[in-house]
Amino acid sequence: MSRFRFDLLLLLVLSLQLSPALSDLIISKLDRRIDLTSQIVRVTMTLKVENTGHDPVSEVSFTFPEHQANNLALLLAVSTEGKGKNRGAATNLPIGVKQPNDSPPSLVWYAASLPKELGKGESLNMDVLAVFTHSLRPFPEKITQAEPQLLLFQDSAHFTSPYNVKVQSLTVKLPSGNVESYTKLEKTKFSGSEIKYGPFENLPALSYSPVIIHFPSNKPFAIAKELVREIEISHWGNVQVTEHYSIIHGGAQSTGEFSRLDFQARPEVRGASAFRHLIAMLPPRAHSIYYRDAIGNISTSNIHSDSSKTLVEIEPRYPMFGGWKTSFTIGYGLPLHDYLFQSGGNRFLNITFGSPLFDVLVENLTLKVVLPEGSKDIYSSVPFPVKESQETKFSHLDIAGRPTIVIEKVNVVPEHNQYFQVHYKFSNISLLTEPLMLIFGFFALFVACIIYMHADLTISKSSSSYLAKLQWDEVQGTIQQLQDIINRCLLIHDKLEASLRELSRTGDVQACKAVRKSADSLLKDLSKELKPLLALLQSSPQAAHILPKVEDLVMKERDLQEKILLKHTTVVDSYERKSMSRDAENRVAAIQQKISALKQEVDDLLDFVEDI
Amino acid sequence: MFYAGDAVPGNGVSPQNDVLKTDKKEDTLKERPSRKNKKKEKETIEKPSVKSKSEKKPLVLPVEASFFALFLTVLLGGFYVVHSVWAAAEAYSAPSIVLTSHSHDGLHVFDDFREAYAWLSHNTEVDDKVASWWDYGYQTTAMANRTVIVDNNTWNNTHIATVGTAMSSPEKAAWEIFNSLDVKYVLVVFGGLVGYPSDDINKFLWMVRIGGGVFPHIKEPDYLRDGQYRIDSQATPTMLNSLMYKLSYFRFVETDGGKGYDRVRRTEIGKKHFKLTHFEEVFTTHHWMVRIYKLKPQKNRIRGKTKKSKSKTSFTTTPRSGTTKKNPWH
Repeated sequence: MSRFRFDLLLLLVLSLQLSPALSDLIISKLDRRIDLTSQIVRVTMTLKVENTGHDPVSEVSFTFPEHQANNLALLLAVSTEGKGKNRGAATNLPIGVKQPNDSPPSLVWYAASLPKELGKGESLNMDVLAVFTHSLRPFPEKITQAEPQLLLFQDSAHFTSPYNVKVQSLTVKLPSGNVESYTKLEKTKFSGSEIKYGPFENLPALSYSPVIIHFPSNKPFAIAKELVREIEISHWGNVQVTEHYSIIHGGAQSTGEFSRLDFQARPEVRGASAFRHLIAMLPPRAHSIYYRDAIGNISTSNIHSDSSKTLVEIEPRYPMFGGWKTSFTIGYGLPLHDYLFQSGGNRFLNITFGSPLFDVLVENLTLKVVLPEGSKDIYSSVPFPVKESQETKFSHLDIAGRPTIVIEKVNVVPEHNQYFQVHYKFSNISLLTEPLMLIFGFFALFVACIIYMHADLTISKSSSSYLAKLQWDEVQGTIQQLQDIINRCLLIHDKLEASLRELSRTGDVQACKAVRKSADSLLKDLSKELKPLLALLQSSPQAAHILPKVEDLVMKERDLQEKILLKHTTVVDSYERKSMSRDAENRVAAIQQKISALKQEVDDLLDFVEDI
Repeated sequence: MFYAGDAVPGNGVSPQNDVLKTDKKEDTLKERPSRKNKKKEKETIEKPSVKSKSEKKPLVLPVEASFFALFLTVLLGGFYVVHSVWAAAEAYSAPSIVLTSHSHDGLHVFDDFREAYAWLSHNTEVDDKVASWWDYGYQTTAMANRTVIVDNNTWNNTHIATVGTAMSSPEKAAWEIFNSLDVKYVLVVFGGLVGYPSDDINKFLWMVRIGGGVFPHIKEPDYLRDGQYRIDSQATPTMLNSLMYKLSYFRFVETDGGKGYDRVRRTEIGKKHFKLTHFEEVFTTHHWMVRIYKLKPQKNRIRGKTKKSKSKTSFTTTPRSGTTKKNPWH
């Protein structure tokens, strides 16, 4: 209270000193409406400014006491032309902080520049919106679970304007019809859930009349101490938004005891000031929405989506009482074509600035827009003052990193949830760098494999082990060829036997003889081929351990060959003579026995040779 | 075909056997070529016939039947995949910190443990110590990020016995023990409202036994009625006065309109209406599975008789009846 008295005194003193220095604007009509229905105080003023002086005026000033100006989150002024039915277009007036030199520091001045100067005798209608945060103080500061939350609001019934005000009135809207106490001035009326002060007439500039309202409010007091919002753009069609929240209940603190029984049985009575749900309004076509915190997924959430919005209702793990904190992360993806626009090589991203949660005050907002690698000439345009910087984020398949623009703001209210743009240049060809990098990577891998398979990486070509290896390879090759030849010989033997059977069936001796002739010639060729191979094997020292077996094989095969040929001749001869002498038959039988035995041995040896 | 005659007039009778043998031999020899020829004939005849048979043999199964069989095999493979995924999801995916139950309107999730740990991590001071039974030690350390007194390592039996003794003692003694350990919060797990069987009342027998093993003033028969641990009207007064009973069932009777029916023990509780003098309830999770209590600070003024020998505590308590229990910390 002492602070107010000091200010009041100061302002009264100032009003006497400063009024002649200001331009001759007067406010002919002022209607102020203070909305206390949520944790954020919104003051809307409709005023009519008149120029009673001689000089044209190009700006209209507003003043706020310092403690209020520290909590001012947003100040908007809109001017409309004409009156009543002829109301023209509303134009936003740019507002800047403009502190005159002779003003005390406890008074902060804002100036709204008019689009065209206000001439002598002209008047202008303006609508001003001022949003204040942290203006509602919980009183008592600590409450138990059963008590309702009472808030204290202090302001002035007279608007502290640097100009004289002819007629003004103030309406205060409360969240419910109950009020603990309020300052009663001479013209005060309390009806429904509104307190009306005024109308006050002919007040001098910078007049001040303190008003204190003590009222109950059970609206959720969710304050996000810190919000880090990361928007990552991928030109392959997705904008990924990740939001990290640290939420605290900013109302009256809880004394500490919490009874779940009381809260569950009668939540309106026991725990009226607590809140359980937070509602976020996401753009339509938001997909892959997740809600998690440091220890895992939180399953208490609901999504209702339609064509114009996606409503996400999230419930923190426990109900939030005064002073209780929680933190969580919400993430979702948005289709790129709704937010990214381009003309030529210039692209810009058009997306909302603030948090999508309803009625949550963000004390520190850090917004990071991560652009794809290779973006240049990055700048942003935000409709209100913010702090900007740039950094780099390294993510997968990045060489130089992704340029990130970091925007920070303090005291962000839901009115700040407007669209802002980030402009940058990105050529279409740079879109191919990532796939080309992957393709080149795999290509290089495969080429390296090919080179490795074909390259000769032996260290020395004359070492004994290398030579031994070479020789062994030769030996193996020779054996392979030998095997081949022997197999062909066996095939020819089979042919001869088949011809004998044909002979016994048909009696055609000539055909048999023809087969015999061809077989003879083939066998001769094969034996010729066999000779150099054998020589090679004999000369090679590596083949020493298998040479006896191989020679044995060759000899046996030769024997077999001879026997078969002999048998063939005998049978053919006996056919020719058209008689089968007993002698011949005996011989044939004996030969046949030997042939079978030899065949068996040859097969065994062949198997052995194959296994080498 | 030439065919030598069957019997050959023998040369002499003397070597009859030989003749016979030779006859036989000749016969066999003769028959051999003939048999050979016959065999050859048979072979040649059989071979082409076999070949023609093998050529004329049809496919093993008709086309439609084989397609149907293939389709059934693919269907079997598909069902196997579906069944494996279902079995893995239902039977092998129980994380045991998030419990689920199927009700008529879908899946009901019991995330009470994480709710309690998140509350502890955000709404207590960094240096606050939490006392609970050792089962929850690692979880509290990891998720709530708070110091615990005993955890799953269980390497210090005396320390676990201290916590067990505190849980089995009446409120004042328990307060003293916890205060000496600089504990701020006590955490108990209670499954009686929802029917969660692995709660601290079911583990209470171990608290008594381990505590009694180190501190002789905790005697297990004090808590048993007919050899059983009970919490209903037949429970012993020591049991009904223990801290674990009081912290688990504090105001539990008001949840179901005065009966206090414990769904795990399937009985109504013994002591229904009581107040806590040394502890205050600071948090209970949604399904009452985790209950967190805070140690009340000491009062500044001593009311009633001052105890000159034991000057630490200054609470007003109900007059002690029966024998004075030996305080392990004196």
